[in-house]
Amino acid sequence: MYMYQPDMTTVSDLPAAAPAGKDDRPVAEVKNLVKTYGSKGFQSTVLKGIDLTILKHDFIAIMGPSGSGKTTLLNILSTIDRPSMGTAALDGQDLAKVSNKELSRLRRDKIGFVFQDYSLLDTMTLQDNIALPLALRGTPGRLCLQKVETLAASFGLTEHLGKYPYQLSGGQKQRGATCRALIADPEILFADEPTGALDSKSSRDLLECLKTVSKRGQATILLVTHDPFCASYAKDVYMLRDGQFTCRISSGGDRKEFYDRICDLQASMGGDRP
Amino acid sequence: MSMTKLAFLNFKRSFKNHLSLIVSQAFTILVLFNFQAILSSDAFAVLGTRNKAYIDLLVQMVSFVLGCFMFFFIWYSTNVFLTSRKKEIGVYIFMGLSNEQIGKMYLTETLLTGLSALALGLGFGFLSAGLFQMLLFALSRLEVEVLFLPGPKPMLTTALLYLAVDLLFAVKGYMDIARSSVLSLLFAARQKEHLWQSQILLWIRTIFGTGILAFGYGLALKEARQGVMANALAAVVLVTAGVYLLFGGAIPMALKGAAADKERLYQKQRVLWVNSMLFRMRKNYRTYAIVCVLLLCSVTALATGFAMKGRYETIIHFENTYTFQLLSQRTDLDENARMLIQEESGLRVGTQMPILSVDPSLIQDDSFYSHYAILSYPHLMRLAKEAGLAFPFEEPADDEVIQVGHPTLLSLITDQSQRKVRINGQTFRQVASSTIPYLGYLQERMHFYVVNGPVYESLLPLGQEICTYNYQIEDLGRFPQVRDRLDGLVHSQEAQGLPPIARVAIDPASNELDWIKVLYSLCLFMFMVFILASGSILFMKMYNDAFEEKERCQIILKMGFDRTLLKRSIAMELGVTYGLIFLVMQISSFFSVGALGKMMFTDLTLVDLISSAVVLGILGLWYLLSVWAYGKNAGL
Repeated sequence: MYMYQPDMTTVSDLPAAAPAGKDDRPVAEVKNLVKTYGSKGFQSTVLKGIDLTILKHDFIAIMGPSGSGKTTLLNILSTIDRPSMGTAALDGQDLAKVSNKELSRLRRDKIGFVFQDYSLLDTMTLQDNIALPLALRGTPGRLCLQKVETLAASFGLTEHLGKYPYQLSGGQKQRGATCRALIADPEILFADEPTGALDSKSSRDLLECLKTVSKRGQATILLVTHDPFCASYAKDVYMLRDGQFTCRISSGGDRKEFYDRICDLQASMGGDRP
Repeated sequence: MSMTKLAFLNFKRSFKNHLSLIVSQAFTILVLFNFQAILSSDAFAVLGTRNKAYIDLLVQMVSFVLGCFMFFFIWYSTNVFLTSRKKEIGVYIFMGLSNEQIGKMYLTETLLTGLSALALGLGFGFLSAGLFQMLLFALSRLEVEVLFLPGPKPMLTTALLYLAVDLLFAVKGYMDIARSSVLSLLFAARQKEHLWQSQILLWIRTIFGTGILAFGYGLALKEARQGVMANALAAVVLVTAGVYLLFGGAIPMALKGAAADKERLYQKQRVLWVNSMLFRMRKNYRTYAIVCVLLLCSVTALATGFAMKGRYETIIHFENTYTFQLLSQRTDLDENARMLIQEESGLRVGTQMPILSVDPSLIQDDSFYSHYAILSYPHLMRLAKEAGLAFPFEEPADDEVIQVGHPTLLSLITDQSQRKVRINGQTFRQVASSTIPYLGYLQERMHFYVVNGPVYESLLPLGQEICTYNYQIEDLGRFPQVRDRLDGLVHSQEAQGLPPIARVAIDPASNELDWIKVLYSLCLFMFMVFILASGSILFMKMYNDAFEEKERCQIILKMGFDRTLLKRSIAMELGVTYGLIFLVMQISSFFSVGALGKMMFTDLTLVDLISSAVVLGILGLWYLLSVWAYGKNAGL
């Protein structure tokens, strides 16, 4: 019986992710990253010497089963957590060497977040939610409005701007949350299981939007997911298992074919093929 | 496990959450108990039966207001308590408990909360009763022996009253739960984020609210002859309803307008606090309206207290203008009387003036006096000059009168313009009125109309002319001696078969009006109760709301914005909320205190400003406490 053999490579052999534009400076970079939780005698190492370089305009998906360390890696890269060993840098700054205040500033100015639970503020309309990061940093109101309108149009949300989160569907909420994450032109967008709470149609809509944003060179995206369908929209997929990258595969351009390859890779690694 | 045991365990587990409810209810019980303790104590008996009767009446009135307040407060707090627990109740239903079982559990928990509040309130009430009485007497400047241990009667009355109200609302809660569907219970928990409001409803509230409030304000200041009390009552109802509709209509509407102007809204943390305030205003407008009305009550109570104190001093001064007054048909007593007084104590002021006492049936006006007298303008002008009193009146025309009366605590006739008086069928227009004590205490007992000289002469056949002799003695300590000497004069006249002399003596040591001083102190206590109650309600609301805010704050912190920005936003939101409540209260108090001023014929603008400044100061402290607690509960 014929079995598809995916192109498997070990992490050490991996070249840096291919840049989409001319700018190939690393946006985020981790070297020999180790993260340990617990106190002496009861320690658990979640990340075991990870290396990853994310270049401008990359669209990377990190996949792995529960407990593989995906979210921990995301938290460290997004400055929410600190590494136990190794280095993590964002926009050239070593995250271990900056103060908490500076980390907050980095998070505010360089990073956009998309959470599984949308994290929209239920006290304000979608328009205000999207404008929030700009407004809070003192961008003039007129400019905020212009940017919100442009971004909302590209995410198909123009008609919903005046609605409150409880009046929106899950997909609309998540696209709104993505707009909010992108409005301040972050260096990198981190998305933690962004389709985890969405139905397939809403997931597809959101991922198409992310892909378009990436193609237009509007953002560098790192998403964490366990869903091969979601990961198939990325340009590169890294497989994480037991705190280490086991392989990386790159899209050839055809999403469906890439999806099959991801599924096969998952199956060959011991998971079930969806 | 039985429902009672589960309820007890629940109560024990969430005691911290119930604490604000218990403390606020205990405070209400404590205040009510202290007033009941005064009612049952005989401390005021030393002030005389009349004073005691007045004070008991006042305390009963205050207790009634407190009872009403307790009723609404328990209603409000048990509603908040029930709403906050509906989600938990929904979970119990999924676990297979029947509505009745959960209702019973809620009933038990509410009663446990009530009993804890009662124990706390009565305990502290028992300990503080003596202190409360001491404060009351000290504020009233009364020297009365304080009873430190109240008897069982006030305790029993307070407990029964409170338990009746608490039980009523506990049973109401039970009925609510027993009759609710699972869906409605679960939906109630989600209401926090579903606060849709009809635009039409908002418009209706805005238009009606503004109209009702304006009408209420107008009524409060409207001058009237007989309808003042009806106007005042209507104004109270209209202003209360107007304030409620203002917070439920015009203010959310204005906030909506502010939130719609995006260019102005997107100015740093303004986007946060304006939206958050709009959300809270929709949710909490009833609470804000209640607090605003309570604050209005507190300012009015304080203003009443100040005004009463001022009026008391005026009345005392008025009554002490003359120490002795003699009335007789004889016109030659002055020399004799002056000599007697000079010998005993010295004379500070002495005047003499005829008055024309007339049959009350000959006079028709809108007052309720049983004694009337006519005064001659030239006679009165001369008396004023001799006594060193002001006399700011033009001589009345033939169809005009000037009314001379006494200061009152409150008057139900505020419209003094265009008053008409009929004397023996002839109509006179009242052109002025005065409470200058030309005839001292006599003005308390008789109603005087001043006419010009020729008219006075023409009215002489209507009654009997009596001469009044008015004296203020130099040494008040010699009052009894002077009184005895004057009584001797009166008796000697009688013995000689001469026309009788009536003697009026105003004892400077009299405590007849001490009840007004107690009224002043009670007003101060009412002020304290209202300000503490309104502050604690607002604080309780914000304290609970802050827990909801925690999640929102975490989202913004994750986005990289610092705590200072969030704290600034919270300070602004709470500041504007407190400020709005104060502003509405201040505008309303201008009218309520204005109405009070009209009834007391006093300009209370300064009193209103002072009272408002005191409220602002105390509210400022509540605000700082709220900002601190809000930040803490929101995880900042």
